[in-house]
Amino acid sequence: MSTRSILGLFQQPEPAADAMDGLKQAGFELGSFDVLTGVPYPEGAFGEYVPQHRLFRFPAFGAIIGFTLALFLTSATQIAYPMVTGGKPILSVFAMLIIMYEMTMLSGVIATVIGIIFESRLPNMKPGIYDTRITEGWIGVVVTFDDDSRVAAAESVLNTAGALEIKHAS
Amino acid sequence: MASEAVTIGHVAEHAEHAGLPPQIAADVIARELVATTSGASKRFKTIAWTLGLLAIVGIAALVMKWIDQGDDSTRWGYIAALVSFLLSVTGGAPMVAMAPVFAKANWVRPVTRIAAIFSFAGIATIITLIPLVLLLPPLVTEGARRRTIWFEAPNYSPHVWSTLALVLLLLTGIMLFYSAAIPDFAAMRDHSTGWRQRIGKKFARGWVGTDVQWRTLRMRIGMFGTFYFLILVFVNFLITTDFGQSLVPGWRDAIFPMYHTVSSFQGGVAGVVIALWVARRYMHLEKYVHLDAFWSLGRLLFALTLLWIYFFYSSFIVFWYGRSENDIATLELQIKGPMLYAFVAAIVLIWFVPWWILIWNRVRRSVNGMAIGASVILVGLLLDRMRIFVPAWSVPPEQIHEKWLRTIPDTIFPDLFDALITVGMISLAALIIMLMTRVLPAVSVWQVQEFNLIAKPIKYIRGHASLVAKPD
Amino acid sequence: MQQRRTLDQPYTNRVLLNGQLDTPRWWAPAVAILGIAVIIGLLVIGAMINKGLGVTGLGRPVYWGLFITTFVFWVGISHAGIMISAILRLTQAEWRRPVTRAAELLTVFSLLTALVFPLIHAGRPWRIAYWILPYDFARGIYPNIRSPLIMDPVAIGTYLTGSTMFLYVALLPDLGNLRDRTTGWKNSLYTVLALGWRGNPRQWKMQTVGGILLSALMLPIFVSVHSIVSWDFAVVPSVEGWHSTIFAPYFVIGAVHSGVSAVVTMMALMRWLWKWDDFIRPEHFDALARLLIVVATGWLGFTFLELIFALYGQDAPEIALREMQMFQWPWNMLFIIFFLTAYAIPVPLWLFKRVRTNIAMMFWTSILVNVGMWLERFLIIVPGLARRTPFVYTWEAYRPSPVEWTIFVWSFCWVTFLMLLFSRFFPLVPLFEQKESQVFTQDVAIGRAKVPAIVREAD
Repeated sequence: MSTRSILGLFQQPEPAADAMDGLKQAGFELGSFDVLTGVPYPEGAFGEYVPQHRLFRFPAFGAIIGFTLALFLTSATQIAYPMVTGGKPILSVFAMLIIMYEMTMLSGVIATVIGIIFESRLPNMKPGIYDTRITEGWIGVVVTFDDDSRVAAAESVLNTAGALEIKHAS
Repeated sequence: MASEAVTIGHVAEHAEHAGLPPQIAADVIARELVATTSGASKRFKTIAWTLGLLAIVGIAALVMKWIDQGDDSTRWGYIAALVSFLLSVTGGAPMVAMAPVFAKANWVRPVTRIAAIFSFAGIATIITLIPLVLLLPPLVTEGARRRTIWFEAPNYSPHVWSTLALVLLLLTGIMLFYSAAIPDFAAMRDHSTGWRQRIGKKFARGWVGTDVQWRTLRMRIGMFGTFYFLILVFVNFLITTDFGQSLVPGWRDAIFPMYHTVSSFQGGVAGVVIALWVARRYMHLEKYVHLDAFWSLGRLLFALTLLWIYFFYSSFIVFWYGRSENDIATLELQIKGPMLYAFVAAIVLIWFVPWWILIWNRVRRSVNGMAIGASVILVGLLLDRMRIFVPAWSVPPEQIHEKWLRTIPDTIFPDLFDALITVGMISLAALIIMLMTRVLPAVSVWQVQEFNLIAKPIKYIRGHASLVAKPD
Repeated sequence: MQQRRTLDQPYTNRVLLNGQLDTPRWWAPAVAILGIAVIIGLLVIGAMINKGLGVTGLGRPVYWGLFITTFVFWVGISHAGIMISAILRLTQAEWRRPVTRAAELLTVFSLLTALVFPLIHAGRPWRIAYWILPYDFARGIYPNIRSPLIMDPVAIGTYLTGSTMFLYVALLPDLGNLRDRTTGWKNSLYTVLALGWRGNPRQWKMQTVGGILLSALMLPIFVSVHSIVSWDFAVVPSVEGWHSTIFAPYFVIGAVHSGVSAVVTMMALMRWLWKWDDFIRPEHFDALARLLIVVATGWLGFTFLELIFALYGQDAPEIALREMQMFQWPWNMLFIIFFLTAYAIPVPLWLFKRVRTNIAMMFWTSILVNVGMWLERFLIIVPGLARRTPFVYTWEAYRPSPVEWTIFVWSFCWVTFLMLLFSRFFPLVPLFEQKESQVFTQDVAIGRAKVPAIVREAD
């Protein structure tokens, strides 16, 4: 059976960080190992690979779409059925602005939420090796492999760091 | 305060990772900051003399304008706008220093002193207000009571109370400054020489830093901070209604005092940013005024810029929809009519440009970018005050009892007096702030010492973080 | 200041998931009783739609009565969520942690409830489509976007959608937690909802960065919603008491006052009902009460400005309206109750730390605030209209009918019912935030003193 990933479980953050250091020293590539926690630790707490993201582009993109749509909706509909109400001009910019503002923000928020989910690499219905104790405070160090030859090396690093348990998954 | 007593985690070697100023020993902080008060550079002296001369010319111009145009209130709009501008910046700035203190924000510590010093510049506001008080019509004019907030009050109530409120604001501001400055006066007493030491000794009032003294100090800052805020709001309310709204028939704008207060905070933060930029650059305070302070002020300024447009729009949309005679007249007077160009320039400079500049984190995290944003805002603020107060004062007094403004007055352009007074009074305010940095350090010694005591860069497992004691 | 308390993660899971993993004994009867009340309310609404608005006290000239007051009230309550979760998140206030989820939830459910009122108030709700949606492509008839009544649903729709999505995104780590603690169909449900959450640094970073970004985006929406609701009234120059430029911020700060008070009420109930004494603690009430003192005093300042500038114009009708509001029976009684309950009783009490940390006192004072804030909306909306009787030759005052009161009571049952239903499936206190605060809190020694400290991430 070929092992595709292993998960070392730790109860304390220090040994988990040792394991991450060990994997780096053993020549494992950044990105081939990761840490799983039930709590957001400060960034870089485990010396982990700090992921890059493009989340900030999403709201900008969403806002542009929302604004354009709102501009169209507010102007085109009024021109299509021009009826003066309250003595206001057909294209009442100051009233249109409010609708445009709301639609810009709405679209920005929706795009941001999509961005958060996308940048979290979710949904992922086959998330891979995992242990339910992680949400009870345990810390998991997961290593993924292209071939089986380095499984032993990774296991040894995890064991040296003091992993309480190592799980395998194919 | 003994910084040696600190034992917070592992102090990281590279404090910049945690966005904190470098760790410096308490006695070094005291000596270095106290040293900034003496030995003014040639440039400092030249600027101070220039500002002083401009201030004298400004005051002389104010007197001459009074002699020349003291009987024509319609010519005093620019001076009213200047009072409003000075009140906004010098009154708003100390509040800016207080608000984050109440929110227990640590970034504000290097900012508090320079912000509190702005209180003293309030003297320029009071000097400029004097002719306006004399020109303000009494409550009963031509046998009838005009529309004001002083419904049944004695005839000269606005004159008396607005002036008193402004003086009270100045005094409370000075007390706020002083109550936070006592430990630094002690530092001056201990680390400086000559007249500075004598002043330090006199004003430190025997400060040695006992537990009771520290507790009283904090209580006093909280108390004067609260008073200051309440008085500031009250002064804004009085000045905007007595020297603005009540001069224009039909202008009924309940949000205007709050609009004025909010833009006063905006102007205050902008003023503080510029003062901080100057102090940091020319007094070599880079070590103490860290980027974090500018970054946080940037976020505050950005929020206030958004709040400005919100308050403006809240008022505008009600007039725009209302379309009653006085709604139309009010919009005509302030926006579409005589001051259209000033209005457009103001909205661009006070909102649009700063909004687009400050939305970028890169700008908020840059010292120069912040200074540019703040300068744009201050120019915008001055123009905004002009577009409000100049047309308000240009309404002929004989129309004061009208139901609404039937004829919109023409544009009034500033004359030479107005220009000289504006430059002179702003110079006076700047000069006062500059001179105060000769008496006490521009950055509060004890605040920086305490900051170092309670916030430390640490190594958290493998990452860099900062550990802040006493969180909210 | 936060008091340091060490709570390990299994304990946190066990206690904070007690609503989902083992249902409290009181839950089923409570839901059943509320369910019956909800059904009765829905039947009354149905009957009203069947019979027409004649069964209400509404009529010329008071077309906007209890329904619109209650609509504004619930929109106001909805301002709790973003106030707590966005503003306090942006200012890094530690004490926000146990409150955020419940406050966001209150936002969602109160907005859902608020939307019902304009709908049923229209008399023929199915016709609402003509009013809001760009529906009639064939004849080219579109809604009038110049009407504030269009801006209202757009703003509330935006706020509701945004809040719901915000709530869901922040729920992801806890859904992962629930997936790990359950079996059977529940496990399948949480597995799908958690979208495969594992808790790697990328996912946590998105929670943090995304949370801040969403807060910053939701904040301007939050301000706009009640402002737009206020413009329903403020843009009308012909009703005394309405045409005031201060209405937008006045409504917003009033909404924050009532919303945060509602959060206090809810926190007390959560602490009592689910026995979360370790998580919802007196210092949280203390912090909220301090916030409320500031908000309430700011609100009082706006109330003062609104009043003084109403009188400032010295217009006879405006002065007459204020006289009626404050000095004529029965409005004067309502006005006194309003002022006492919204400010004069609770705020002076909150000045005492003993009251701020007394949960029962906080519970009752927060309820008082909302009694007052409901009356405030009633006193803004109805008297201005009621004074217009000479125009329509009707001399009867507005008197809400039992149907209106029933629907009013229904709205409270409905919100509580939805909250309880939610609590059966999802945790009301964000577990990961709670655990984060444990990880980020340390005690430090400054001299001989042990001071609680918080780890702040490097920028």
